Amino acid sequence: MSEAREIKVDYLARVEGEGGMTVKVRDGKVEDVQVRIYEPPRFFEAFLRGRKYIEASDITARICGICPVAYQMSAVHAMEQAFGVTVGGQLRELRRLLYCGEWIESHVLHVYMLHAPDFLGYQDAISLARDHRAVVEQGLRLKKIGNEIVTTLAGREIHPINVRVGGFYRVPLREDFAKLRKELDWALDAAVKTVDFVAGLPFPDFEPQHEYVALLHPEEYPFNEGDIASTAGLRIKKDDFLEHFEELHVRHSNALHGRIKARGPYFVGPQARYNLNRDRLSPIAREAADRAGLGARCDNPFKSIVVRAVETVEACAEAIRILDAYERPDRPFVDYEIKAGVGHGCTEAPRGILYHRYEVDEKGDIVSARIIPPTAQNLPAIEADLRHFVTEHIDLDQENLTWKCEQAIRNYDPCISCATHFLKLEIDGD
Amino acid sequence: MHELSLMKSLMRKVDEVADREGAGRVLGVKVWLGALSHFSPSHFEEHFVQAATGTRAEGARLDCVLSDDIGHPHAQDVLIESVLVDRDGQG
Repeated sequence: MSEAREIKVDYLARVEGEGGMTVKVRDGKVEDVQVRIYEPPRFFEAFLRGRKYIEASDITARICGICPVAYQMSAVHAMEQAFGVTVGGQLRELRRLLYCGEWIESHVLHVYMLHAPDFLGYQDAISLARDHRAVVEQGLRLKKIGNEIVTTLAGREIHPINVRVGGFYRVPLREDFAKLRKELDWALDAAVKTVDFVAGLPFPDFEPQHEYVALLHPEEYPFNEGDIASTAGLRIKKDDFLEHFEELHVRHSNALHGRIKARGPYFVGPQARYNLNRDRLSPIAREAADRAGLGARCDNPFKSIVVRAVETVEACAEAIRILDAYERPDRPFVDYEIKAGVGHGCTEAPRGILYHRYEVDEKGDIVSARIIPPTAQNLPAIEADLRHFVTEHIDLDQENLTWKCEQAIRNYDPCISCATHFLKLEIDGD
Repeated sequence: MHELSLMKSLMRKVDEVADREGAGRVLGVKVWLGALSHFSPSHFEEHFVQAATGTRAEGARLDCVLSDDIGHPHAQDVLIESVLVDRDGQG
């Protein structure tokens, strides 16, 4: 006999984390570690085809709510290269200022809201605020100043709208920055204090050796320009990126895995920038780094929190320098001629180099697009690090090991960072 | 981007309920969609049909109620209100 029955449930369906990790253990030894990204492919490169060149910066900005500026910058620099135009003077300075805002937003979010609670034994920033209210408030105010830079210059803090090929749609008046300029004095001081604060956190001894890759500019700590360089001696133009780097599809992840063709995994991001560009930091950022004991090179991924704090000092100091010398350009963008060509853009997103390549036809329609984000480049190196890390902690019970792995993954500030609080750790083997 | 993950959680719960009730098939699912859940009933149904394919909930009737209360504490969420199962003579 068949009987239909209605069962009351009242169950709240939850969005689960988009990340997972599988550890394979054999004879008490870690055999393999896989970081799985479930986040489905988004096909941005495919739907850019056939769109106008001018849309690329605004479409790709939607890829990330934390680093839309990076997507805009890589896109416009690529298009400008394709059209043979260079943006200089105050417009170039404003682009650096915009990047300062994004680095402050992103780094402060990670340092205060995601990473610091791990070191201090809290589940999240909300519980941290119960005992350390002033610390969290300092972080929030600092982040807000990053947001304000982006809003003042580019219309809104998330997915800004004022960036275009050749410059901007509109450039602010000097007085538009007046309030922000005052706030930046406080921000610089708070950023220096942040370095001192995070330098005192307890760091495990863990120093995996990697080949670090970042932009290298003759004079500046890099944002938008420079050669692509590595700690193993690589030095190439951005145009040659695809000759030296490749992305591979792996079975366990929807994110592609980056590697240097000749050698294998590599690392991008704040540690890479610091290790290659330390001597290009402003004096105040370098002093903060020295006081924090960072030295000439930082290999410990747990100390990436200190490097992010140092880069926040750099971004505040750079923003002050740019604003103090700011004179509103006569025109918000430079003219250029649309023509068929290929352009490459490689800029320093908060998480590391972000590479774009576009081919456009004579009408300025996009024929092909290629985007290589920093987290995908880092995944093989992250997995290698985690293999060492799990080996050292394999005796912990599942709950503690999961917690340690969540912390370890957050060292790399992957774009799935928010999701790793829901990390599902599977231990496969004996 | 988050629909797949949410559907996975929802289908797991439906499956748990069906197991507990010794059900052969799931005949219907009633869901409440929060005003800020970013779902319209038709959008939700598309995902539901896809997620249910090949499971015992395949072909189940879906009843969606879309809330318009943005102040509701679960305005951003999706709630399964009830599951209609065929106990298949095992009851």
